Amino acid sequence: MSSETISHGHTEEASVHSHDSHEAHGHDHHHEESFLSKYVFSTDHKMIGKQFLITGIIWAIIGGLFSVLFRLQLGYPETSFPVLEDLFGKWAAGGRISNEFYYALVTMHGTILVFFVLTAGLSGTFANILIPLQIGARDMASGFMNMLSYWFFFLASVVMFASLFIQTGPASGGWTIYPPLSALGQASEGSKLGMDFWLISMALFIVSSLLGGLNYISTILNLRTKGMSMTRMPLTMWAIFFTALLGVLSFPVLLSGAVLLLFDRNLGTSFYLSEIVVKGEILPNEGGSAILFQHLFWFLGHPEVYIILLPALGMVSEILSVNSRKPIFGYLAMVGSLFAICILAFLVWAHHMFVTGLNPFLGAFFVLLTLLIAVPSAIKVFNWLTTLWKGNIRFTPAMLFSIGFISLFISGGLTGIFLGNSTLDIHLHDTYFVVAHFHIVMGVASFFGMFAGVYHWFPKMYGRFLNNTMAYIHFWVTLVGAYLIFWPMHYSGLAGMPRRYTDWSNWQSFNQFQDMNRFISTVAMIVFAVQILFVFNFFYSIFKGRKVTSTNPWGANTLEWTTPINPGHGNWPGDIPEVHRWAYDYSKDGREFIPQTEPIGADESKH
Amino acid sequence: MSQVISEQKRKIHPHKFTLWVAIGSILMMFAGMTSAYIVKRSQASWLMIEIPMMFWYSTATILASSVTVQLALKSLKKREMINYRRLLAVTAVLGVLFIVLQIVGFGQFAAQDIRLVGAGSNASYSFLLAISGLHGIHVLGGVVALVVIAIRALNSSTRSYSSVPLEIAATYWHFVDALWIYLFIFFTWMK
Amino acid sequence: MSGYFILIILVLAFVLIFQISKASEYVSVLKGEEKSFKQSNRINAFLFILFMVLGLAGAWWCNELLYDRTLLAQPAASDHGEKIDFMMWLTIIVTGIVFLLTQVLLFWFAFKYQYSEKRTSYFFPHNNKLELLWTVVPAIFLTVLVGFGLFYWFKITGDAPKDAQIVEITGKQFNWMMRYPGKDNVLGRKNYRLTDASSGNALGVDWEDGASHDDIEASEMHLVVGKPVQLVINAQDVIHDVGLVHFRLKMDAVPGIPTTLWFTPKYTTEQMKKITGNKDFVYEISCDQICGSGHYSMRGVIIVETQEEHDAWMASKKPQYLTVQEGAAPAAPAADSTAAAASATMSKPLAQLK
Ligand code: HEM
Ligand SMILES: [Cu+2]
Ligand SMILES: [Cu+2]
Repeated sequence: MSSETISHGHTEEASVHSHDSHEAHGHDHHHEESFLSKYVFSTDHKMIGKQFLITGIIWAIIGGLFSVLFRLQLGYPETSFPVLEDLFGKWAAGGRISNEFYYALVTMHGTILVFFVLTAGLSGTFANILIPLQIGARDMASGFMNMLSYWFFFLASVVMFASLFIQTGPASGGWTIYPPLSALGQASEGSKLGMDFWLISMALFIVSSLLGGLNYISTILNLRTKGMSMTRMPLTMWAIFFTALLGVLSFPVLLSGAVLLLFDRNLGTSFYLSEIVVKGEILPNEGGSAILFQHLFWFLGHPEVYIILLPALGMVSEILSVNSRKPIFGYLAMVGSLFAICILAFLVWAHHMFVTGLNPFLGAFFVLLTLLIAVPSAIKVFNWLTTLWKGNIRFTPAMLFSIGFISLFISGGLTGIFLGNSTLDIHLHDTYFVVAHFHIVMGVASFFGMFAGVYHWFPKMYGRFLNNTMAYIHFWVTLVGAYLIFWPMHYSGLAGMPRRYTDWSNWQSFNQFQDMNRFISTVAMIVFAVQILFVFNFFYSIFKGRKVTSTNPWGANTLEWTTPINPGHGNWPGDIPEVHRWAYDYSKDGREFIPQTEPIGADESKH
Repeated sequence: MSQVISEQKRKIHPHKFTLWVAIGSILMMFAGMTSAYIVKRSQASWLMIEIPMMFWYSTATILASSVTVQLALKSLKKREMINYRRLLAVTAVLGVLFIVLQIVGFGQFAAQDIRLVGAGSNASYSFLLAISGLHGIHVLGGVVALVVIAIRALNSSTRSYSSVPLEIAATYWHFVDALWIYLFIFFTWMK
Repeated sequence: MSGYFILIILVLAFVLIFQISKASEYVSVLKGEEKSFKQSNRINAFLFILFMVLGLAGAWWCNELLYDRTLLAQPAASDHGEKIDFMMWLTIIVTGIVFLLTQVLLFWFAFKYQYSEKRTSYFFPHNNKLELLWTVVPAIFLTVLVGFGLFYWFKITGDAPKDAQIVEITGKQFNWMMRYPGKDNVLGRKNYRLTDASSGNALGVDWEDGASHDDIEASEMHLVVGKPVQLVINAQDVIHDVGLVHFRLKMDAVPGIPTTLWFTPKYTTEQMKKITGNKDFVYEISCDQICGSGHYSMRGVIIVETQEEHDAWMASKKPQYLTVQEGAAPAAPAADSTAAAASATMSKPLAQLK
């Protein structure tokens, strides 16, 4: 984004010099100013949403590339790739990824994808673009805070990116940064300067999410147009609302955990440290508790996985209904289950800590509450299936990804029932079973939700369509690839193969999966290449895509499709439309769809 | 925007509403901190904290500032602009004074040879520092907000008699005040 | 060289896909959007059903290939492990049924209800009975799973039998150290400030405590088959995790906060060689919590043996206290060279401790 600004600034300057007429100067000056305020420091929610999206895409490429790099190591532990040494120097001496490098890559991969892509890139994009458009508002409650939210995210990105170039490398203790490993520079290279950068970047990121989340909540609660009661809101709005609520209430707790960690790292305090001998050095710290951090971390960390998932749940519900030409089945149950998930998300964090020596009675509570989440999740799945049943389904790219999402959500959700049951978690904790579970249900599924959203709302964002053929290739390769990558990982998990290992060849118990690992790595590279195809399609279509010709290309009921094809600042040229009905009157009384703005007819049937 | 807001007249101002959500969020952070404190307290090697006298003074200061900010708001509503500016300034000064007193208070620990950080520090005192420090930063944020409002009040070109910004700032100010009272009671109770 | 070759092929493939995609867009505009929409809709609907069939077949095939390499194919080596295996199968069956049901319905509906001009969708916004049904049925299944799960959970985390053998295991970057309580069956007191690998006290045992004098230190864990064992788990530097895959157990090792874990080994190492048909079989301890750059190599070995073998092994070991007393070549059994070098600079004279 910023480089664009700079280069643009230069051309302006050049043109100013070539025309000495006063008029031209004035015009250019005006133009430059509007460029800055239009594309850079914009307070228009639609532009801020696009900024989040594009920054997210850039991060996704980086995070994905990291996974390709470390998959190279896992798939070909014996092979040397001289090109790696050319690129990364001492980190890949001899063409092999060093252990430090491996752990740095894994940590950055997790951090980037969880926070920068699927939190900021997903919530930031769709909350910003959709909230005012779908509830009928001119903009967010505070455009300025909204802009700050993006720029804090940008700053966080800069700091995290800078940490990649530190002499001792970026953080490398896993995205969960458990102390003491993350607190002691002596224990690991990545716990030196890189860890401070990580914490600072995260603090900025938290500020960004809070600013954004506050705005989303207060906009949804306060700025709905006339007639848009809460129960007439599209499910996307509900999902984003609950997402913001989760973020606003859980991120501050992570911040306090991070502050204490910064103290321990830099001021010699003992919040998390006790009785430590590291590399023979006896540390003075006593009385701290390493487990305390895990409580603070997972109090955010678990809601965080729902922060990632909920927007996808909402968008998929919406897209499924539009393209089945059928109302979403059980709207109130869908809202209720989102609410239940949101509440339970705060009450299950210790299921990540079953084997830390947690009190077994406490553990039992967390088992119960965790498995309780399966009930609202099951309601969602069955309601989606019923929505498809007797529909008239159009397989737009968004619809394909939504159906793919449901399949992945089922597969990944069911393995959660294994892990939430503490008895089984004793065996499965920190094995590849976990890697398979959270990638399918959180990583890939949320990505599918995000792709669905991008394909569905791209026409609203840019007034053009993405190319369909590329979209189909993108979908089918990604769906097949995701299963090929993560399905076999369950098996290595059931063999107890631990995660965060760079190499298993010296283990009697885990070295039997070499061929499988190689296969997974190969598929991962293909899947990555196809994502690049999507990115290409995305940027190409912004400029050259097929033009949208009608305001409502999908025949949807929601308000965003009542705006002009390229809505300006303020969204509706005239008055904000009034809402008369819920968003899901599809195929009612023999009419394919009835927009929310249409008053209830005299002889309309009730439901 | 303005049109939208006027449509919403009957409801709470969206910025005020945002502040209330933000307060909820800040509370979560301190809830995280104080529950960590409680967890730690139940463990071995916990030292009883002695609250220095200075903290009583700072508490009085911040209480007083809550009164002045309320008076400032009253003056603004009555259009007594001179009084209003004065009271605003007093509030900001009291805010700064509060922070100074807090720092002096922590200085007194050093005089008693109690380590807050570094080798030989005990988590109980480190907690006191971390939690009060975080609170201090929030007070500082309030001071900045007041200064911005004061500058706007002095700047004749943007003279505005809207009391909304100050109402929001005052609510926030009362909140950090109440937060400190809570922390203060918490520390004396839970030593 | 081959790298560039692959790169060129990739770029060419990209260009090709891109050109085809562009072309098909033009074609669809020419042919009429309606017609090309119907065509691609049919293709995608068919692909969904194909994906389901091939996917289920693929899952079957994957199972054929990989099942024997998992632990499901061999009996658990501890009593707790058997409970966990039972839970595992129960959960696999329950979730497996749900998986099949929902995935088949999903793809079948996608195929069956694909767009057709002749049909209009059925307006079906809600139905309380149905919704109640799929709230209650999953809840019942989950109650069963939670019930079994917690029953076993409390068994596994409950107190160890009184006669359990005690073994202490301590993790540090990047290896495991064991300590046995000796004849008195009491582990000597420790004080981490006394840790000094160079003088033979890698674990920081307080020699002033008489109970420590018969403690035996080792780098391998020896257990007796059929005899309950209680592990006392420590860490010196960062969090580690004692992972015992064959016993289906694990427990974190946290600096400053000792944890425990107990179980009864069911098969000796020799028996496991026969059961698994692997003549190189060993029980391994894997570190299951990221602990630094050597995490993946933090391997320990357990030898499960008969009581006689165990007694003989014990008898062959000399208590660490005596070794240190003699002062002869006191390198601790498991101290790695870097740790020893680092602590040498700290030099804490032994005399001072006594
Ligand atoms: C092509 C796609 C992907 C592949 C092949 C992949 C592969 C992997 C693998 C193998 C690991 C485990 C590494 C280890 O434990 O040594 C891992 C870790 C992780 N991945 Fe992915 N991943 C992909 C996409 C994603 C996505 C979309 C997310 C978003 C949530 C994600 C989030 C994570 C997280 C949070 C971790 C844990 C990092 C840690 O251990 O600290 N990944 N990934
Ligand atoms: Cu969780
Ligand atoms: Cu480890």
